[in-house]
Amino acid sequence: MLAWFTPRRETWLFKVNPALKFIIFFAFLLITLFNQNLSFAVWQAVLYGILFYGFSGYSMKKLALLSIPLAISFFSSALTIVLFGKGESVLWQWGLIKISEESIQHALLLGSKSLSFGFVGFTFLLTIQPILFFYAMMQQFRLPSKYAYSFIASFRLIPAVTEELQIRRNALKVRNIQFSRGLKGMYERLQMYTVPLFAESIRRAQRIAVAMEAKQYQMGAARTYYYPTRYSLMDGVFLTVMAIGLGVTLMLAFWR
Amino acid sequence: MKRLKFTDLLITIMIGVVFGILMKFWDDLYTVVKPILPVARQLIYGMWFMVGPFAYLLIRNPGTALIASIAGASLSAFAGHGIEVLIYGFVQGLAAELLFAAFRYKRFSMAVAGLAGVASCLGSFTLDLFYGYAALETWALIVKYGLRAISAFIFTGIFAVLIVRALEATGVTSLIRPVDKKEYTMLDR
Repeated sequence: MLAWFTPRRETWLFKVNPALKFIIFFAFLLITLFNQNLSFAVWQAVLYGILFYGFSGYSMKKLALLSIPLAISFFSSALTIVLFGKGESVLWQWGLIKISEESIQHALLLGSKSLSFGFVGFTFLLTIQPILFFYAMMQQFRLPSKYAYSFIASFRLIPAVTEELQIRRNALKVRNIQFSRGLKGMYERLQMYTVPLFAESIRRAQRIAVAMEAKQYQMGAARTYYYPTRYSLMDGVFLTVMAIGLGVTLMLAFWR
Repeated sequence: MKRLKFTDLLITIMIGVVFGILMKFWDDLYTVVKPILPVARQLIYGMWFMVGPFAYLLIRNPGTALIASIAGASLSAFAGHGIEVLIYGFVQGLAAELLFAAFRYKRFSMAVAGLAGVASCLGSFTLDLFYGYAALETWALIVKYGLRAISAFIFTGIFAVLIVRALEATGVTSLIRPVDKKEYTMLDR
């Protein structure tokens, strides 16, 4: 599975400081979220699409595969708004379903935003190493080490948790557990799965925390880092590219 | 009221991450239900509001609802759900946290937990307004978010409280919560 996530070539995006990349992407996506202008939203999606398809360094086959969930999220989020969205100039109506010009516009706006979020999310995930991201957050953005190490420790336990979930599923199947129907059944299902899972995870997390403190990990103490991360020339390139991208999309959307 | 110890923090984030994994599996169910039964889909949506209140009910420390919610959201983000879930996770956790704070972090009842879920739902609705998910006809808007709020109350108020009680019965909560005055006096006997 992890071998799948090796790029064909390491583009310049790989050399950007991962924490800086995250902060900038996050700030840009806040703009995307609050923007209400359709053409700006579309041009932003185009910009992030260029980053995703052009500079993530993965083969077109893999990128096409990753595009499937993006396409699904585009259509599924847009469809409800097209069919049930608000609007005055009705194009087609059938019972509760009402398609209007405004609803199509709203749907396109929503769809472009979903695409932007998807493109940026994948571009970020494909071009970072998670561990280095947390180390860079500590070193370049002063994220307290207690949060970073808690995240790293918890993320390392994901395979153990998913395996446990699988075992639990099989155990319930072997015992032929029947769930009730409706809401009660939903609770039964939730309880059967979550209680052992949480009990074990809490014990495990507590053991890790005790072990770390036994080895003299102290919250808030000055530390050195096993993986030093720093800024490089590529960060300047990245900032410039993003700034120009924002300028161009703004111009294409608003300048007439 | 006390500050978070490292153990509490690690357990809080762990709970968030485990919830993130559960939500991933829940999401598969959600995707299957989505096109066929739009109503049922809103009724199981409460799962997404559960993480913050659940962590708070379990650990009973200020800040846990927010931190666990962000942790759950970051797992979802890393699992490929896009960075917007981080924004949602933050706002939902903050809403739940503020509601618990309004009760001075002293109430752990079903009603308060359920209200925290509804607050989270309200927070996500506000984001939906900006994002564009809420550009619906009025009737559809009321049905969608009304069902979602009911679901939030059921999941965070009833389900979360019951699961925390079941976990208390297993004894793991003794690892987290501070030792009671009662337990000290038991020793003196």
